[in-house]
Amino acid sequence: MIEVTDVCVHLGKRTIIDRASFIAEAGQFTIIVGPNGSGKTTLMRALSGDLPFTGHISINGRELTRLKLWEMAAMRAILPQTTSLSFPFTVREIVKLGLTSGRSGAARRGMDSLPDEALQMVDLAGFGGRFYQELSGGEQQRVQLARVLCQVWQPVLDGQPRFLFLDEPVSSLDIKHQLIIMEIARSFAERGGGVIAILHDLNLTSMYADRVVVMHGGHADCVGTPNEVLTDERILRVYECALKVGALPASHIPFVLPQSVAV
Amino acid sequence: MSEAVVMKPAAVSPSNGGGKTRADGDRSSLAKAAIAALSIVLLATMLFSLAAGASDASIMSVIGGLFSTPDGSSDALPMRDRIIIYDIRLPRVILGALIGASLAVSGAVMQGLFRNPLADPGIVGVSAGAGLGAVSMIVLGGTFLAPLITLFGYYALPLAAFFGALAFTLILYRVATRRGQTSIATMLLAGIALGAMAGAYMGVLVYVADDRQLRDLTFWGLGSLAGANWVKVAAAGPFIILALLVSPFLARGLNGLALGEAAASHLGIPVQRFKRIAIVVVAAATGASVAVSGGIGFVGVVVPHLLRLVIGPDHRYMLPAAALLGASLLLLADAVSRTIVAPSELPIGIVTAAVGAPFFLWILLRRRGILDL
Repeated sequence: MIEVTDVCVHLGKRTIIDRASFIAEAGQFTIIVGPNGSGKTTLMRALSGDLPFTGHISINGRELTRLKLWEMAAMRAILPQTTSLSFPFTVREIVKLGLTSGRSGAARRGMDSLPDEALQMVDLAGFGGRFYQELSGGEQQRVQLARVLCQVWQPVLDGQPRFLFLDEPVSSLDIKHQLIIMEIARSFAERGGGVIAILHDLNLTSMYADRVVVMHGGHADCVGTPNEVLTDERILRVYECALKVGALPASHIPFVLPQSVAV
Repeated sequence: MSEAVVMKPAAVSPSNGGGKTRADGDRSSLAKAAIAALSIVLLATMLFSLAAGASDASIMSVIGGLFSTPDGSSDALPMRDRIIIYDIRLPRVILGALIGASLAVSGAVMQGLFRNPLADPGIVGVSAGAGLGAVSMIVLGGTFLAPLITLFGYYALPLAAFFGALAFTLILYRVATRRGQTSIATMLLAGIALGAMAGAYMGVLVYVADDRQLRDLTFWGLGSLAGANWVKVAAAGPFIILALLVSPFLARGLNGLALGEAAASHLGIPVQRFKRIAIVVVAAATGASVAVSGGIGFVGVVVPHLLRLVIGPDHRYMLPAAALLGASLLLLADAVSRTIVAPSELPIGIVTAAVGAPFFLWILLRRRGILDL
């Protein structure tokens, strides 16, 4: 379980996160939504241990600020929005970097095949020999996810749940791969791990989230199930946009929702 | 809601059929083979360098001579050849190998640290800092810094160069890096400024130097292995060997750093501590090399770049391979510098710059579109 209590983050004189509190349970898929500049990514960076903050963040009951880097690396893995590489690594070499901490949880014998399995999961089977820099943005993002999955391959290790932090994991992906990535995250949660993701797509959020955290002005405006959180009133207030939940477009306008996906 | 549908990833057809692959992207066995081959190349180069030269001692007699005692068997080398080989060529070969390895490894570590294939101690002013340290010691060693020479003996020069290199590396890092991201343009411009700064101070020191010091400075500044002797090996060796021994422990961190500083620390790598160690390693290797051989440029940028093309950038393999290839290449360059204008010899720095500078331009040309210059 991840507990965020009254967390504030200041960058310079500005207060980016203002007393944010929420709980992300293991076994659940928690999705953070909110308009640009509402503090989603800053909150994620505080959770990741990248930024100094006041208040409390704990992972599995342990205070984040007291954890060593290698301890954190065994408890959670983080997918950044984008990753630029300085040297020409192959896809396999990048994915294998996820094994750096040595706590993937996979059996020693299975280690060699782990990168292949991870690449298969993100629909990049056979891409191991390609150069990372030659891939499209969406493919690069999925390679990074494969690396992150290798780091916490077993969602539960030594009886402790582990966590995936995903910062806009589907922002550069087509709809098929958006669904694949969301399924991977949900499956990680179903197998006992915890997932916290930042998302812009409210339809995907309502389809997959167990809990939704709505960020607004650096504050966790509301935490709850998609049904509780996604209301006309809140969307108007938070996004400053008068939208109607559940309203369909006129019958002659085609619309495609991820919820309509079929076998 | 139809979440039961579940797009099982395995059930989705691969988008691009896997694309063109170079095997499976695992270059570790290739890299290991390259390291083995480079070890043999280095050994051969060292023997060749020992045997090549004005004396007519053959490779076989050199090998025989290495393993026999002076008063030993009948096919032992004549005394003249023994002196040439043990007191002139052997220290030169060892010093050349150490410096070549040190230049290549410090280049590779620096490039990993700055996340930038153009970072080389010679190009970004770190060698200039080492040079400033060394020149200060040569010129002021008789006066202000005399106690240091009394205290450290022949280690005073490499120590001075080490601290010069360390100071300049720290300044460079401070100027060129913000939140773990290095701007290539800022780094190269900072290197120019640091080089100019070191040049100005060195100019002042040259101005106040006396005739004997000027002669020392001139020989030192040409970038040469010509004055190699056992004292120089003993002075620079410990710094270089220490740097070479520590560098493998940096490999994991440098690999992680390729993803960026934040991602590296998320993998559990203690990035801050690791960066400090890397900077000291670069300064020690560069300082010691510059102290005994002056400025030998471009080895640190050419060798890692060639290796990345062949065995990839994984530092676990690239660092040892760079040490071996750097040593071999410098010995070859030294052989060229000794023979091309024989019986005189060309400073080796001229040879490495003549080959390395066009190579550097070629890298720039190839990466022009990729680097945000």
